[in-house]
Amino acid sequence: AQDTFTLRLAETWGPNFPIFGDTTKNFAERVEKMSDGRLKVRIDSANKHKAPLGVFDMVKAGQYDMGHSASYYWKGKVPNTLFFTSMPFGMNAMEQYAWFYHGGGMELMQEVYEPHNMLSFPGGNTGVQMGGWFRKEIKSLDDLDGLKMRIPGFAGEVFAEVGVNPTNIAPGELYTALERNTIDAVEWVGPALDLRLGFQQIADYYYTGWHEPATELQFLVNKKVWEKLPADLQEIMRIAMRTASYDMLVHSQHANAEAWANIKEEYPNVQIKQFPQDIFQAMYKANEKLLDEAANENEQAARIVKSQEEYLEKSRAYTNISERAYLNTMDEVE
Amino acid sequence: MIGMIMFGVALLMLMVGFPVAFTFGGVALFFGVFAEGMDLFAFMPYRIMSVMQNTTLMAVPLFIFMGVVLQRTKLAAQLLTSMGRLFGGLPGGLAISTILVGALLAASTGVVGASVVAMGLISLPVMLAHGYDKRLATGTICGAGTLGQIVPPSIILIILGDVLGLPVGDLFKAAVIPGVVLIGLYVVYILVLTRFKPETAPPMPDDSGLSRGKEIQAALLAIIPPLALIVVVLGSIFAGIATPTESSALGGVGAVVLALIYRQFSFQMVWDASKDTVKVTAMVFAILIGATAFSMVFSYTGGDYLLEEWMLALPGEKWGFIILAMLVILVLGFFIDFVEISFIIVPILAPVAEALGINMLWFAILIAMNLQTSFLTPPFGFSLFYLKGVSPPTVQTTDIYKGVLPFILMQILVLALIVIFPEWFGMSSSY
Amino acid sequence: MRWIIKLDEGLAYLSTFCGWVACAAMILMAGNVFFDVVARYVFNDVSIGMQEMEWHLYSVVFLLGIPYALRTDGHVRVDVFYARWSDKTKAWINLVGAIIFVIPFSYLIWNYGYEFAIESYRMGEGSGDPGGLPHRWIIKSVIPVSAVFTAIAGLNMATHALRVMSGEKTYEAKHGAEGLA
Ligand code: NA
Ligand code: NA
Repeated sequence: AQDTFTLRLAETWGPNFPIFGDTTKNFAERVEKMSDGRLKVRIDSANKHKAPLGVFDMVKAGQYDMGHSASYYWKGKVPNTLFFTSMPFGMNAMEQYAWFYHGGGMELMQEVYEPHNMLSFPGGNTGVQMGGWFRKEIKSLDDLDGLKMRIPGFAGEVFAEVGVNPTNIAPGELYTALERNTIDAVEWVGPALDLRLGFQQIADYYYTGWHEPATELQFLVNKKVWEKLPADLQEIMRIAMRTASYDMLVHSQHANAEAWANIKEEYPNVQIKQFPQDIFQAMYKANEKLLDEAANENEQAARIVKSQEEYLEKSRAYTNISERAYLNTMDEVE
Repeated sequence: MIGMIMFGVALLMLMVGFPVAFTFGGVALFFGVFAEGMDLFAFMPYRIMSVMQNTTLMAVPLFIFMGVVLQRTKLAAQLLTSMGRLFGGLPGGLAISTILVGALLAASTGVVGASVVAMGLISLPVMLAHGYDKRLATGTICGAGTLGQIVPPSIILIILGDVLGLPVGDLFKAAVIPGVVLIGLYVVYILVLTRFKPETAPPMPDDSGLSRGKEIQAALLAIIPPLALIVVVLGSIFAGIATPTESSALGGVGAVVLALIYRQFSFQMVWDASKDTVKVTAMVFAILIGATAFSMVFSYTGGDYLLEEWMLALPGEKWGFIILAMLVILVLGFFIDFVEISFIIVPILAPVAEALGINMLWFAILIAMNLQTSFLTPPFGFSLFYLKGVSPPTVQTTDIYKGVLPFILMQILVLALIVIFPEWFGMSSSY
Repeated sequence: MRWIIKLDEGLAYLSTFCGWVACAAMILMAGNVFFDVVARYVFNDVSIGMQEMEWHLYSVVFLLGIPYALRTDGHVRVDVFYARWSDKTKAWINLVGAIIFVIPFSYLIWNYGYEFAIESYRMGEGSGDPGGLPHRWIIKSVIPVSAVFTAIAGLNMATHALRVMSGEKTYEAKHGAEGLA
């Protein structure tokens, strides 16, 4: 008889977090079926391990064999993990997947995780994340000045460059804080997940996204555990991770479309807005500046930034004559 | 099964009288190491870290600090005795005042540890000094302090919103009437009880020779400053000046300012208040850490899967399902903490409820009411431990156990009313 | 016996020191939160570094408060029977409990908490948010430090129990959080 394996997976999300949590369940089911029960995955959600942002450390130390999370959460520990989730004004989901699988992205990601005894794989995409809920309309750069916004991470730094005050608010108090104007704006994910927090009831302006055009989650695997698996099970893992990622992208598209239809119908107060061009330009410049700073930090960061920039340029040129051209055509005939 | 045996052992060990926090931790250690090995405890630093980064819990030390300063400067006593005086010769005035102050605190925090301990500091000494029955006094405080869970903002409602995918705002709105009804019922209970047993809650003595009118005037004047402080705390949330957690800091600093105005301020007083705060805070958090070790061992030894299995055996008919689900949650609430119930049990019940056409908002409020009760039920109700931690030695654990009984019954009564007459509470039981 | 008294008093001193640090952190924390509210509301100025300092201080309050409360008998007990027992019985409960519960539990948290903090130090971990605090290892190392002091306070509980057994001390004097109200 062949050996059977059970991998323990820690995910950053709660047990029934929609879309994200479905991705790990989907992965676990596929692995078990494809391996005819030789490989099982036991999922522990955040309510069990209580360490949503401890997934990196726990997988690294071998307390868990695998994790499901997002690479940019580890920016404070390993700065170059920042680049493997989504970057402001960066690639869209299709372009970024192409970069991962065909443009050298995977190799760079493994290089960053290797010293930490882990492998990282793409783990599902949310698509373009919305730019956030605002209680007042943003008409010019002046309106952003001193605006208090819950916006973490690198995107928060970009916002800070154009005058926003990034503010920490405990997730449990976000709703009350926004409702009472303790803060002016909240960035979360997209319609499907934002709807659950009820922001549509208290904020009228829903801004389109620019800061996370293609948020990619990740599967983390402890390297020793990976090496213990026979080659066929490794291949099954690879395929299951890749299909789970693809499924999440289409699931996100579907769930967001449904949720958006819902918001439009039940909350006619909600207006979709785009930041004016001068704000985008200022943020674009701020982003360039911060990226330059990051690239100057170390040689590896410089290589990653360069690889992403070059790939974006090349693939965007094609996106422009294909996807964009098609959408423009549709605009004209409708 | 290990988890179930562990509960039994913990219960026995608690009775021995070793500190609760370390009994939880120690029992967890034996079962954990025996079942899974030492390395299970490598998860502990992460769990402690999650308490450290849970900034909502910052309300605990901050509210305790406010309570201690109000107590040390005698402003708390002044607030409650004056409020009690407004009731004139009516017995039970202090208890009703406690419930009303507790309701105000409940509206500014969703953390039970914060409100129970603060209420224990503010009103227990006053009630005891005026000859209140120990059971009535402690029961009232636990009942009033636990209101924080149903009166918005509330942690339970936020977690349920997340687990059930309901907008937090809808839940907050739906919880208002049940909360107000519960507060009203508490007050009615005190009025009825003291009518038959006036000796359990003696009325405030007459303020030497003042006319009733003058007395009321004096009482109102004395109430204003400390009450204003609590209103400021609450107001700062409504005005958007502070988040609920931050408002507790305004309360603490405000209490010190009041002390200054009343010439009660000294650096020694602040330092002593800080010492008391640290001790009580440490007592509360040690229990949280002991309990997190306990629930870690419970779930990593398969306890969560066992619970899941039990849940799947519930009947598939609407009223049978509702009643049994409520009973199971009530019983589990005796042993397991509400976060675990919300994350393990509720997700299993939710799809069944949805399939039965049950209104999820109504269902969520039922669960929230039910989980609130778990803070009060012996042996593991945290409110009981917290209040015991700040009680004088003359108040024994058994007094508190007996004291909360009527309040548990009232909560169950309101729960039953919401089940039977949802329309009274502005809801409907199905879509 | 004499050395036990000396040891007992020496250990108590360490817990009191923890308490002193926690008290200072408590006052600083209240001030810190108040300052952040005023800065945001009045001056429309937010510092994530200052916001993170809030939970750093709050962690110090309870982590270092735990050994202090242990020394001052501030941790709540279920006293259904305990209140009625003699000092000798109480001393036995405290002696055994300290040795089989407090010290081993603290040891495990020290052991794994140490790894936890060291790992953070090795990676140079800091906040990932704009303007957040660097050197996360400092606050993480409060976990093992707290465990060491809790173990010391547990040992102290044992030495105190021995003094009570010998008849030289009693449990009568309540100086803990119990009796605060
Ligand atoms: Na986001
Ligand atoms: Na509340």
